[in-house]
Amino acid sequence: MPNLRVAVDIGGTFTDICVLDETSGALKIAKVPSTEDPIDAALSGVGKLGVDLSDVSLFAHGTTVATNALITRRLPPTAMVTTEGFRDVIEIGNSTKEDLWDAYDDNPPPYIRRRDRLTFVERTSSYGEVEVGIDKEAAVQLAMKIKRRGYKSVAVCFMNSFANPANEREMKRILEEALPEVAVSNSADVLCEMFEHDRFSTAVVNAVLQPVVGEYAVRMQDRLSNGGYSSDLLLLHSGGGVMTPKTIDRHGARLAGSGIAAGAVASKYIANLCGFENSIGFDMGGTSTDVSLVFEGRPSLTREWVIEYGHPICFPSIDVKTIGAGGGSIAWIDEAGSLRNGPQSAGARPGPACYGQGGEHPTNTDANIVLGRLGAGLAGGDLGLDVTLAEGAIATHITASLGLDTVAAAKAIIDVANANMADAIRLVSIMRGYDPRDFALVAFGGAGSLHGVALARDLSIPTVIVPPNPGVTSALGCLLVDIQHDLTAVHIVDTTEAEPATIEAAFSELETEAHQRLEHEGVAPSDRIMQRTIDMRYGGQWRALSIPVPAPFTSVATAIDDFEQAHLREYNYKRDGAPLEIFRLNVTAIGVSPKAELQHFEPMTAEVAPVTSRQVVFDDVEQALTTPIYNRESLHSGFSIEGPCIIEQLDATTVVPPQATVTVDPWLNLIISV
Amino acid sequence: MDDKVNLTSSLDPVTFEVLRNAFVTVVDQMAEQVRRTCYSFVVYNRDFSNALCDANGNTVAQGNQDLAAHVGTLHYTCKAVIAEFGDDVHDGDVFLVNDPYVGGTHFSDTRVLVPIFVGGELIAWSQANGHWADMGGSVPGSFDVSARDMFKEGIRVPPVKIWRRGEYCGDVAKLIAKNTRDPDAIIGDMDAQTQACKIAEREIQRLAEKYGLETIKTAFADVQDYVERAVRRRLSELPDGSWETVDYVDQDPTATEGMIPIRVKMTITDDAVEFDLAGSHPTIGSMYNCAYGGTFAAIVAGMKTFFPEIPLNSGLYRTVTVSAPQNSIISAEWPVAVSGFVMPFEKIMNSIFELFSIIMPERAMACAFNIEYLQTGGLDARTDQRPYFMLYDWLAGGWGGRNGKDGLSATAACFGVGLMIQPVEGQERMSPVRTDRFEMVTDSGGPGEFRGGVGLDKAGTLLEVENCVFSYFCDRERSVVWGIEGGLPSRPHGLWLEQDGKAEFLGAVFSDVPVRNGAKFWRGTAGGGGYGDPLKRDPNKVLLDVEDDYVSVERAERDYGVVIQIIDEELGEYAVDEAATTDARQEIAAQRKGWLEEDPETVAARFRDGDIDMYDVIRRYGVICDWGTGELLPNSTRDYRASMQRRSVPNWA
Repeated sequence: MPNLRVAVDIGGTFTDICVLDETSGALKIAKVPSTEDPIDAALSGVGKLGVDLSDVSLFAHGTTVATNALITRRLPPTAMVTTEGFRDVIEIGNSTKEDLWDAYDDNPPPYIRRRDRLTFVERTSSYGEVEVGIDKEAAVQLAMKIKRRGYKSVAVCFMNSFANPANEREMKRILEEALPEVAVSNSADVLCEMFEHDRFSTAVVNAVLQPVVGEYAVRMQDRLSNGGYSSDLLLLHSGGGVMTPKTIDRHGARLAGSGIAAGAVASKYIANLCGFENSIGFDMGGTSTDVSLVFEGRPSLTREWVIEYGHPICFPSIDVKTIGAGGGSIAWIDEAGSLRNGPQSAGARPGPACYGQGGEHPTNTDANIVLGRLGAGLAGGDLGLDVTLAEGAIATHITASLGLDTVAAAKAIIDVANANMADAIRLVSIMRGYDPRDFALVAFGGAGSLHGVALARDLSIPTVIVPPNPGVTSALGCLLVDIQHDLTAVHIVDTTEAEPATIEAAFSELETEAHQRLEHEGVAPSDRIMQRTIDMRYGGQWRALSIPVPAPFTSVATAIDDFEQAHLREYNYKRDGAPLEIFRLNVTAIGVSPKAELQHFEPMTAEVAPVTSRQVVFDDVEQALTTPIYNRESLHSGFSIEGPCIIEQLDATTVVPPQATVTVDPWLNLIISV
Repeated sequence: MDDKVNLTSSLDPVTFEVLRNAFVTVVDQMAEQVRRTCYSFVVYNRDFSNALCDANGNTVAQGNQDLAAHVGTLHYTCKAVIAEFGDDVHDGDVFLVNDPYVGGTHFSDTRVLVPIFVGGELIAWSQANGHWADMGGSVPGSFDVSARDMFKEGIRVPPVKIWRRGEYCGDVAKLIAKNTRDPDAIIGDMDAQTQACKIAEREIQRLAEKYGLETIKTAFADVQDYVERAVRRRLSELPDGSWETVDYVDQDPTATEGMIPIRVKMTITDDAVEFDLAGSHPTIGSMYNCAYGGTFAAIVAGMKTFFPEIPLNSGLYRTVTVSAPQNSIISAEWPVAVSGFVMPFEKIMNSIFELFSIIMPERAMACAFNIEYLQTGGLDARTDQRPYFMLYDWLAGGWGGRNGKDGLSATAACFGVGLMIQPVEGQERMSPVRTDRFEMVTDSGGPGEFRGGVGLDKAGTLLEVENCVFSYFCDRERSVVWGIEGGLPSRPHGLWLEQDGKAEFLGAVFSDVPVRNGAKFWRGTAGGGGYGDPLKRDPNKVLLDVEDDYVSVERAERDYGVVIQIIDEELGEYAVDEAATTDARQEIAAQRKGWLEEDPETVAARFRDGDIDMYDVIRRYGVICDWGTGELLPNSTRDYRASMQRRSVPNWA
């Protein structure tokens, strides 16, 4: 009986692998360099852990394949077929720029060039009447043009198809009949969203990615099956669930953002394990930091997800805020004499000054090593760090301008970095009405646990959780996820005129389709969960709030109550008696994976000796303190100690400052009471 | 770099940097709150801005997404409130003001202000400014282009309290709201802006508790000093000297034909800059006048475009001196109509672009298009209730060619790059107007070695309407978007209406034109002006433009002298005919200076005869006509040709 669960997170530099033994709960991890064909690294990493694929019960996967294809524009030849007169919807966008003031900064170009955007005479009204239907002969001619030009994929994007997809479907039927080898994505069937730019953009991303991810998923599935794996490959999507290769050919765009969602899913899972329903995920790597939020067990979602500005992918996606702050972020003095930190990064090459690879600019890593918070070896000692080079870089670029000594300057660098990251967390928490005191901070990524406690103190977050393997936490995120599909129907009605029966019927229709998708993926009826939400807003308002509602839907009044509570929490006020509008119905369909548990350990009382000690500079302490250094692997469940101390492991270093107390929980998470 | 040490804040570097960022974060939080809870679609589409001001009303921080036209006016508003209320400012008060004559912009831009107290001491103000969809006045949307004074434009609100020591002044709020066409939405926006200000109040109080009151007050001053230092350093690196230019508003509709000059002379002396607008035209008989606040905003926004990474606050304003002639089009006073302030505003902003392009050629940019705004109002006869509808629609357009890069295409107007256009599907659902075409326009980008960005066209049909009228708020029909460094103009603005069997060009400015079921209309925006001589453009770039239909085969030859062979149109395959291109370029180079001297009446006649097209008339001959009748506009032509002689000809070999 297969009893191993494998999760693989493929990033640009490293591929992380987690293997969970369902019987014992034991977890094994590996980190291998990513390869040109990402599947090679995934399989070699799995092999390195001694896994026989025929023992694998579930193989889940987060990947940057889709994201990279978009950013590099290495995309198959793709056409867009759109209503005559609307050729440029994806280029015009909403006409704004990401940087409003820099007139030399341009938005990334659309994924389909203008010459590849073909128009067709057809029209549907905004209430769904077909005003001009599909002329079959013209459609066949268009198909021939598509064939002559050699497109591999086509996005069919017609105006008002959210109100009636008939014309899009007819066009798709004709194109598929004439061109069986070409993939066709219809905008309303990819995502039934009102507003042409959002819907077209999502469909275009789907069309350009479909051949890429479809081919990738099939190839990976084949190699796994040939190796003896007997189930479906599961691919993590931006909404935080997984899908199988069987639905990827319709919703390939959902794989964009797969890698980023993994970290958020993992932090939610770990916080839950530790008994926290509310958590903030803080994933700090070499060049950037991802922040996510979970409230009452639900990750915060957005419909404004983009990989590149101006090209939205509007599936509900886990809301991850990324800022340019990481271990490699460079500290600098600006022209008016102020100390700045990032967003420029030294990257992996040349890297921080202390790497000795020619980096000249001081980074957060350099500052941490000068303060003694980081030891002289990273990544298992493969890479020795040179304190002298770090001091030199800080002395050259920072010390003189600020009139501080090197240690004070290093402290200043870290303080500025922490303040920037705390501001990012503030934006996703306090400003949305969430009180950080009700949350736990899950600190992971290569640098998260170096900074986690300082941030928590700044934000009044009482608890910091550092998972057992902070550097491969994202892979863990792929391990225990469910199949998930998000379906949406535009349904605009004033609440005073809303009929529960009509709404119930619309929900039922969505759920019928949801069941079909789960059926297609082989999910047994007993393993299916349907979650419903209604998007509501005050009549005249432009943004809606998503309100969970029960099945069957019977009471508009209850939904109104819940909306007002949510509005009060998020925006600090509500408007009693103001007219309310229902805007959209959503169903999240979940195919529950069989549950598995991580191994846990009975608490022990045995003493653990530090491996060494060194001088470390902490916040709010004048002098460097002689600080014990522990090896994480030697810390058993139940171990507890008051700071200051430093806990080192292969892929991360945890700083526990004075007055904080760290405890190891049964799952070997570090729970730090700040 | 010793001077840096002396100039650094009296706070320690970390506290300073932390607070500097924190102030901006506070303002960004306000923006997010406004956008998520507002009612006016104009506000939702980002016509708003927020600020944190110190106890004296000086701006400490503005938001990253603020609208350019509001920049540099919010401190005036705050100071106006302080001047009006003096000591009568208390914890729990909330103020509201929209008065353009005390440093605001126009009546639609309504500002809500909250005084922030710590320990009983007034230490700061938070301010949220939003463009409300309607302020009353003679037309829906409150933009009556025929207005000569403010009494047609809407309700003027001097500084008033809408909350007094925590008590809501419903009477005052209703007095304002009930003078507009949509009182409920106005109250909704008032709530949204008030709550945004309250967020800033909470955050500043939190920071004061954490860092201490004195530290916060010091930081307010220091972040302004910081910005001033950064700007002065930049200015001191630029050469000293004076540069001047002139740009034009199309016309005074109450006067004889002729463009309305706005003159800008910039003088840099060491680390300060002075702008003298002497010679600008007196106020005109339409709403296209600008009060002083808008003029200052244009100057500051223009400068900010060249120093994009320097944050905005009163520190920047301290480096700038402005003198503007009294009661001129760029310094209008009560009760002159100013709702169209953004037209003079944009002329100033583009002038600043042009002047800075001379001294910072690495960031040079030709003229950018400016907003056009079609307001449709009437009864929606699609249902029996026949509700009143208002459809306000604006387009994006092209920005000027740049040094080494083509201009930005289909981008929001320079007065507010954050201003989003609206989805057609939303408009069609809410209004009985169908959009038939909404796309980028071939050949609209001004030709140049680096082409201007591409503009848009939008065409539509009135479906089932009653008592329906159009008003159009637009300019640069005659003062056509220009090129620099040898670059050529884009194309004129204007709207065409076809009903009762005839098509008519209504131009760029009109109001209250009745429109009926089945009427068709189309209008478009200019692209950006070209940068550099179009005959020097790499023929392969012209080829790419032809493949993507940004440039037609015909105009590739006439504007760029690049002859394109069509190989297979269905496959989109073209090639450059190099020999023919060399000949065409020589021919144009030999004749083009002469074209600009040709008799304008003859040119206009050839245009009327269909012998040459509109692009030829403007780009080759520098002639301005009534684009509907083809009648010559001699005064406009005289000034437009002078502009081309100055901006384009000197760089032609």
